[in-house]
Amino acid sequence: MSASAHSQSYSKTGLWSWITTVDHKRIGILYACSALAFMVIAGIDALLMRSQLALPDNGLISAETYNGLVTMHGTSMIFLFIMPLSAGFFNFFTPLMIGAPDVAFPRLNALSFWIFLFGGLLLNFSYLIGQMPAVGWFAYANLTLRQYSPTVSVDFWVWGIQILGLASLIAAINFFTTILNMRAPGMTLLKMPIFIWATLVTQVLLILALPVITVACVMLSFDRAFGTGFFDPGAGGYVLMWEHLFWVFGHPEVYILILPGMGIVSEILATFSRKPLFGYSVMVYSTCAIGFLGFAVWAHHMFTVGMGPWANALFSAATMLIAIPTGVKIFNWMSTLWGGKIRFTTAALYAISFIAMFTFGGLSGIMHSSPPIDTQHHDTYFVVAHFHYVLYGGAVMALFGGIYYWFPKVTGRLMNETLGKIQFWLYMVGFNLTFFPMHFLGVQGMPRRIYTYAPDRGWNLWNLICTMGAYLTAIGAFLFAVNVFWSLFKGKIAGNDPWDARTLEWSLPSPPLEHNFDVIPTVTHLDEWWHRKYNEDGTRKVLAPAPHFDPQTIHLPNPSYWPIVLAFGILLIGTGFFLPSFGHVISIGTSVTGALVVLGSAFGWSYEKA
Amino acid sequence: MRRKTGITLGAVAWLASAAAWAKKFDEMPYKIDGGFDVPMSTIAGLTEWTRDINYVYLITTVIVAVIFLAVALPLIYTLYKFRAKEGDDTPPKQLHGNVILEFLWTVIPAVLLIFIAVPTWKIIFKHDGLPARADAIKVHVVGHQWWWEFQYPDLGITTAYELHLPENTPVDLSITSADVYHAFWIPKFGGKTSAIQGNINRLSLTSPLARLPEVAGGDYYQGQCVELCGTSHALMRHVGVVHTKEGFERWVKAHNQPPKVETASQREGEQVFARCIACHAIEGTPSASIPGDKIGPNLSSFGSRSHLAGGTRKNTEENLAIWLRNPQGLKPGVLMPNLALTEPEIAALTAYLRQSTYKTY
Repeated sequence: MSASAHSQSYSKTGLWSWITTVDHKRIGILYACSALAFMVIAGIDALLMRSQLALPDNGLISAETYNGLVTMHGTSMIFLFIMPLSAGFFNFFTPLMIGAPDVAFPRLNALSFWIFLFGGLLLNFSYLIGQMPAVGWFAYANLTLRQYSPTVSVDFWVWGIQILGLASLIAAINFFTTILNMRAPGMTLLKMPIFIWATLVTQVLLILALPVITVACVMLSFDRAFGTGFFDPGAGGYVLMWEHLFWVFGHPEVYILILPGMGIVSEILATFSRKPLFGYSVMVYSTCAIGFLGFAVWAHHMFTVGMGPWANALFSAATMLIAIPTGVKIFNWMSTLWGGKIRFTTAALYAISFIAMFTFGGLSGIMHSSPPIDTQHHDTYFVVAHFHYVLYGGAVMALFGGIYYWFPKVTGRLMNETLGKIQFWLYMVGFNLTFFPMHFLGVQGMPRRIYTYAPDRGWNLWNLICTMGAYLTAIGAFLFAVNVFWSLFKGKIAGNDPWDARTLEWSLPSPPLEHNFDVIPTVTHLDEWWHRKYNEDGTRKVLAPAPHFDPQTIHLPNPSYWPIVLAFGILLIGTGFFLPSFGHVISIGTSVTGALVVLGSAFGWSYEKA
Repeated sequence: MRRKTGITLGAVAWLASAAAWAKKFDEMPYKIDGGFDVPMSTIAGLTEWTRDINYVYLITTVIVAVIFLAVALPLIYTLYKFRAKEGDDTPPKQLHGNVILEFLWTVIPAVLLIFIAVPTWKIIFKHDGLPARADAIKVHVVGHQWWWEFQYPDLGITTAYELHLPENTPVDLSITSADVYHAFWIPKFGGKTSAIQGNINRLSLTSPLARLPEVAGGDYYQGQCVELCGTSHALMRHVGVVHTKEGFERWVKAHNQPPKVETASQREGEQVFARCIACHAIEGTPSASIPGDKIGPNLSSFGSRSHLAGGTRKNTEENLAIWLRNPQGLKPGVLMPNLALTEPEIAALTAYLRQSTYKTY
């Protein structure tokens, strides 16, 4: 590598360089840092809720505040933590793993980040004025209508989701295009790393699912702002339509949350057992099958709404089918470990715990797929236990594994393993202490989303234990923060390939240069980097010398401030809908100004030299 | 050492919070009750429906438990057997897959699922979408923010909070909502049903047997609204009350009897109640003949109810007084206004509502 390229990538520093960046790696870091910050807030929500529920008839938190915490915890963990943290990984690693210099549309990439950040800030602004939406992350009609929720609290949810959805949709189109069009020569679809497959299928799900929630949110905001009455039975509307629309989006959303985690775990397990992923092509097919079936099961959230026996039976069957490709994945991960030489790094521990916790949550999911059982478990703590096992024990554990695994590639330094392992065990014990007893609470009939409960229901003991588990997890999260900051400055220098890994990003310096690859690699194998290091019989190859590199051939996209300006315009359009109480001039004026900013910056954008 | 300080601080914080909560827990009147035969247990139901649910539940639980062991035990063995040995740096054999194995673990779960699916469908079609039986007791169940209304159209009874039923009788519930989305649930009778404005969901079940010769006004089964329905969702509770057939007839006969106003205090209470009749009705009094929907619960036979304010407090004089002094204090967001009653008015109204109406418990 040339010294000039190196110095070039670090000469651009300062706040302005981050605001105008179009570098996918920097945008990835921005995504990840914002997601972790939002996680802290959503985690505090959870701790407050658990503190309130530690004892029956507890008076720590008021009913309205608790309902707000329920809503904000769910909405934030999904839209502001898991999705953007996954997007952080997509951003940083997709081009590196497919051998591309950047994503297909670098400025669009920056735009989707800024829209996401503004959407997240808008949603979180509700805390500051004490108007948290208190309708649940699913915002079922008709509680969301103005007559039942007269304040602006629901508007924060509706507009937050619309703006965040826009960000995800733009990003999804970008990554879909990037993966299909910008792979290095020789990297056929079935030579892509499995994480890239998971990313690709996730983008397809996003592209197909997000328009549904966007349309639903537009209808709801029209109901609230203009009294259109889509969801108001008094005006001829239909309450259940919201629920259908929401879950047509909401169930694929579940796979949007878990598929990236599955991809990360597959990479980690292969690396640390030092074997290729077992049954790669079946893993690809099962990822696609899960994505496809994910659109056919939304009504399993609705077994109690009175759809009739046939709809219940068919949606139950479709739901059970998902267990098959998921089961295949679990056994293939175990076979990846089988015959390997497993190194128990922190990242590996997270990936292994993913298998166990996700299996557990998946199996309780099979129990809910049976409508008779579900009518008893629906909206009880059994369901809370179930989806925290798949989304926390599953998706979040995988994402933490991903952070430990790729931190050295992003920062150039390894995270502290001792601290990492302590955090892992705190998480494992705390997580299971919190969520395993919730199965018991569910069987004992404790409903979800209640801010208090009577002391004679028999729920006291398990609730107290759940709360203590949650505190343990909080300590784990604190140690994680300590570990990140300690490792950033004092961590061991990683080198290019600290884990003896298999995919192309590990052939690059840590952190990678701004232009990624000096020369775009030519790919001949799945696990290309491994095959460059090893022969089939496990003996080491001599690495081929780096091809001749001419810095003149590198073209980097110019930084641009239009993305952040355009995103701000979108925020203004939404903000106008919060301001009717200040008069129509201010309210409509703000939205129109926002629209003009969007138009103006789109104009500036298209005439800017990229 | 910043790391060690962090860990120690964390441990101390956790132990301190554990001790604090445990002390409060220890001071509570109700002790540990971790068993499954609790008031709202989902597996200790008493109707044919709950027995059928438990049958599917048992099969499913056994199958998923076996699958979990089939994953967990081999996983633990694999982790132990294939751990990297110290100093061994050569990569293991690069195995890419095995078609037969992968075929097997596609097919075996599919077969296992059939054993869950078939009983599931059997039970769905046995209980869902049944026509109402002619001899069934009809009840209209209406969810309100935040209380349940029960109307017996054939008996001319409208009540709240308590769903009274005779034992071992077919029941036909028509469930809907007057405002937001609610869900009706009494776990020991069966699963949930959504209560949605503009929709009517029908639910057919057979009530359980009365457990004892009727001593205390019937057997009480706890229920609760299970769809987030606004601020006081957690306080939207209800009960099913199962009587012997004779006990139920007594309840029906007595329910719409007008209050017996005898003492001076009760007479004064009757006067005070005139301020409540825009929202509340009591059968057999002028309040019942005011046309239009009442937005508050029907208070006929109020003295017979075991609890008040959506099941949050026992129906005692003190609790009713607390409620009347400040309804918002017991149930945040409730529509009932604070009428700013004086203490003597509260005492009179309490005497009127609690003592002059029929009492079963």
